[in-house]
Amino acid sequence: MDQDRLAEEKIKRFEEFVDRRLKPDLVRAIGERDKVFEQQKVFSDLRRNLESLEKNSVTSLRSMVNLGSEVYAQADVPDTRHIFVDVGLGFHVELTWSEALKIIPVREEKFARQIEEYTRLIAQIKAQIKMVSQGIRELLQLPAE
Amino acid sequence: MIGHNIQREQGGWAMGEPVKGTVTSLSSIYSPEDAQKASVRVQEQISEHQKQVQQLQGFLNDNTNLVNLVKKLPDQLHHDIMVPFGKAAFFPGKLIHTNEFLVLLGEGYYADRTSKQTIEILKRRGKDLESQIENLNAVIKDLKYEASFFDETATEAAEGVVEIREDYVDEVSDEEEKDTPTPGEDDFARILSRIDELEKEEMESEMAEEAEDEDKPDLSHLLSHTHIEPEIIHSEPKESSALPVSKNSDSDLDLSSNIKAPTSSASNNTLPRAVEQKKLESLPNTPVSKNEVLSTRNDSSKAFTGSIVEHTHNTEKSQTSQPPTPASKPVSRFKMRKK
Repeated sequence: MDQDRLAEEKIKRFEEFVDRRLKPDLVRAIGERDKVFEQQKVFSDLRRNLESLEKNSVTSLRSMVNLGSEVYAQADVPDTRHIFVDVGLGFHVELTWSEALKIIPVREEKFARQIEEYTRLIAQIKAQIKMVSQGIRELLQLPAE
Repeated sequence: MIGHNIQREQGGWAMGEPVKGTVTSLSSIYSPEDAQKASVRVQEQISEHQKQVQQLQGFLNDNTNLVNLVKKLPDQLHHDIMVPFGKAAFFPGKLIHTNEFLVLLGEGYYADRTSKQTIEILKRRGKDLESQIENLNAVIKDLKYEASFFDETATEAAEGVVEIREDYVDEVSDEEEKDTPTPGEDDFARILSRIDELEKEEMESEMAEEAEDEDKPDLSHLLSHTHIEPEIIHSEPKESSALPVSKNSDSDLDLSSNIKAPTSSASNNTLPRAVEQKKLESLPNTPVSKNEVLSTRNDSSKAFTGSIVEHTHNTEKSQTSQPPTPASKPVSRFKMRKK
């Protein structure tokens, strides 16, 4: 009787831990990882575009600039040899194509590392959730899945 | 659980004193915790809507900024800008063709517009946003009222406010007032039906007189030849006592004398009597044809509940002393039977 109550309390605490701590953590970790994925994609796109510019040796560029609310205006880039690349923390560095193509892979690698880290974190949280739910199952004396 | 509480509460009150309505403590209907929860939920909804409003407000601000920008752009032939190249990089460049804009119309369709045309489109979009914000604000206002209501309920329930509910009862007699309204209504209906019944009876008796007038020779014939008294039906005492009709009593007296008359002098008396009866009958405004219809209906619908008493010829006097209604009734029955 007393033990039952104790077990019940324990189960309640475990469930709360899963719901209030582990699951939100998991959601946040996944969100962070998605953000990094996006960044990585941005840089890989940039690298590909720069490579194609280099290959076609484009020196001037016409493009459409989004002014907001899907209103575009035409823009002209007279000289494409210098490009400002975001190097993090809001800093943009003026680089030539070759310099940019050196820096971008470094950034990409860093993003890949971050993604790996987040993936490991996510796996860890998932394992913790599984462990706790296994514990709950044992307390309830239910057979394992 | 809550329902159970209410019942107990009501029972307690009803036993304690004779109350007309019910008294329920508010906390038994809405527990303070539940009301609080409801209020919290509504608050959540409000904050959600407010977020939406903020988002829309942001769009609206962007839109007005864009309108200003688009208005200003054609002032110069070109503007020096940084042309974005992907999200992470840009080139130094300039905006050209400053009076040409490509505007998204929706569903992937774009249109080339001038600055003025673009501004018109953007203004229309702004109006739409404004109306959306207005709608959301109205919803928020409603929700706020709702939340305040829940809060009030919660505090009232916590304070132990009591709800008193009394059914509205029309003016009924004192005894009936104590009862629930249905018995009173029943009584009333019963009284009405009783009145109807009595009226019907009255009609019937009148008809009987009429019928008797018409059948007078036959009746007298029968009486004189067979010496058997017509079956006299004693209607239930309550019927006769409950129906004190002044007009009828007059005619019934005549009737009873009528019945007596044929025995003594069969043919002599009948005619003037009949005339007299007719005269009396013309007063209550009931056409004869209608009466007959009614009589058949009444007799068929009504089960025979009286008792049949056979009298010898000698006891005829006792018949006269009998209450007038029963005397009139049997004749009609007799007549019906004959038919």
